[in-house]
Amino acid sequence: MQVIETRSEGLKRELKVVIPAADMEARMVERLEDVKGKVRINGFRPGKVPFAHMKKMYGKSVMAELVNELVRDKPSEILSERGEKSATQPEIAMTEDEAQAEKILAAQADFEFTLNYEVIPSIELKDVSGISVTREVVEIDEKEVEEQILKIAENARTFEDKDGAAENGDRVTIDYLGKLDGEPFDGGKDEDAELVLGSNRFIPGFEEQLVGLKAGDEKVITVTFPADYPAANLAGKDATFDIKVKTVAAPGAVEINDELATKLGLESADKLREVVRGQIEGQFGQITRQKVKRQLLDQLDALYSFETPERLVDAEFENIWRQINTDLEQAGKTFADEDTTEEEARAEYRKLAERRVRLGLVLSEIGEKAEIQVSDEEMQRSLFEQLRQFPGQERQIIDYFQKTPGAAASLRAPIFEEKVVDHLLGQIKVTDKTVSKDELTAEDEADDKPKKKAGKKKAESEAAAPVEAAAEEAPAPKKRATKKKAAEDDAAAE
Amino acid sequence: MTDLRHYDVILSPSITEKSTMVSEHNQVVFNVAKDASKPEIKAAIEALFGVKVTAVNTLLRKGKTKRFRGFVGRQRDQKKAIVTLADGQTIDVSTGL
Repeated sequence: MQVIETRSEGLKRELKVVIPAADMEARMVERLEDVKGKVRINGFRPGKVPFAHMKKMYGKSVMAELVNELVRDKPSEILSERGEKSATQPEIAMTEDEAQAEKILAAQADFEFTLNYEVIPSIELKDVSGISVTREVVEIDEKEVEEQILKIAENARTFEDKDGAAENGDRVTIDYLGKLDGEPFDGGKDEDAELVLGSNRFIPGFEEQLVGLKAGDEKVITVTFPADYPAANLAGKDATFDIKVKTVAAPGAVEINDELATKLGLESADKLREVVRGQIEGQFGQITRQKVKRQLLDQLDALYSFETPERLVDAEFENIWRQINTDLEQAGKTFADEDTTEEEARAEYRKLAERRVRLGLVLSEIGEKAEIQVSDEEMQRSLFEQLRQFPGQERQIIDYFQKTPGAAASLRAPIFEEKVVDHLLGQIKVTDKTVSKDELTAEDEADDKPKKKAGKKKAESEAAAPVEAAAEEAPAPKKRATKKKAAEDDAAAE
Repeated sequence: MTDLRHYDVILSPSITEKSTMVSEHNQVVFNVAKDASKPEIKAAIEALFGVKVTAVNTLLRKGKTKRFRGFVGRQRDQKKAIVTLADGQTIDVSTGL
């Protein structure tokens, strides 16, 4: 086997691998010898098939198998021999010529293929002890806890049926049938719908017109759908609703006491306070961590500068670009609205992609050096978290993760990253600082802008920075939201 | 054009352990039609493969009696021809016509 380097520019490598026909033939013969005792061909006793005949019958398929195996195994073998790591799966090119391929299979021609890949640059780990970050901690005051509890209490309040007119805050049970120009439309019909007046769950004007109705009343109301209503056929239209009120119920008083706590499945009001406090702390804790991580990454980014493999950057860029484009499309905006042009935005996100790839490489290198491992248990936990977000589809999701090799990696990556960050936080200076809630959330925004502004025109950065922040931090707020919701659900369920 | 009858005379090459053994003596074995005569086989082989045939030996293998689920059946009879080629001439039986 011969390996010839045909190109070596920067991080790009192109290798030509030649395996002589004689070698291929020898391998094939070896293969055939192996199966000789096993094949059964009519007219021959097992093991008595002449070699020439076997070669004629199985030679080609054995050869094809050989070629596949070589193409599968050789690249990694060659790479490890050269002591290089490929950033992506190496690209393999073989002859396209049908006749040539035929010859290779007949072991008459040398088997050649080319490998195209980019190496991961070797990273020299730098001393991180110079990095220092400020951890902002929020003192949670009692008032906030009370507020949160009040919200929970409101959700859990009881309603009691009453005679008399419905007032704001009352809950009515109604049947309704919506009509557009006298024709019922899809989704405009419901029976026994429970609606708390003043909760603004329905379109504007709907709830207001129900005030004053009594149980058993019927009424036709006219409302106008808002212009930005999601269903296009209804947006901005006038519709009538035939309403039949079944019951009217007045809300019970909202009190924070042990009774409320028991209803939520906790022993006492104090316990409830504790739980709610824990939830709020968790939320702020995540913001805090996010900020610390951001500081850390910024400083790491400043510390390291090396060439990044183009293909990784390309892939990352494509990801971001797709995300941005769908975001823009959903918002119904163009780049012009964001005060930038497509080219400028491209350059902008290209830089971002490069930064991410570089940081990713640095983090993985640090993690490898520190021998950070992701245990199966942690993988399981994160898998279950995924499952929780899609109730009812657990089966498909588990299947997906088992069948798609990349999917497991996508679960593993964030865990690994967090662990590396933890590891780094142990090595660097961390100063605690107590801040108020507003400061914590406000500075979050301010943090992004100066960093992104560096060396760029003002118009660009203003448009790009918030988007960048959104893109990079997208997982976090989403998680926060779901967590919060889940927590509330939990509380309610308990 | 060669006579189409030739294609009916020669049915298939017989590729077996024994046939590979006789191939060392410059002989080739064919399954042939049951009613084919030696001169017919010689003419067919010479015309189809473009070789010179020095001798043809034939044999008629009688079909075996086999029972399947208690019913008696009989396998087909099969005529074979062992064709001796002139020195230096070969037929590659595995490539087919």
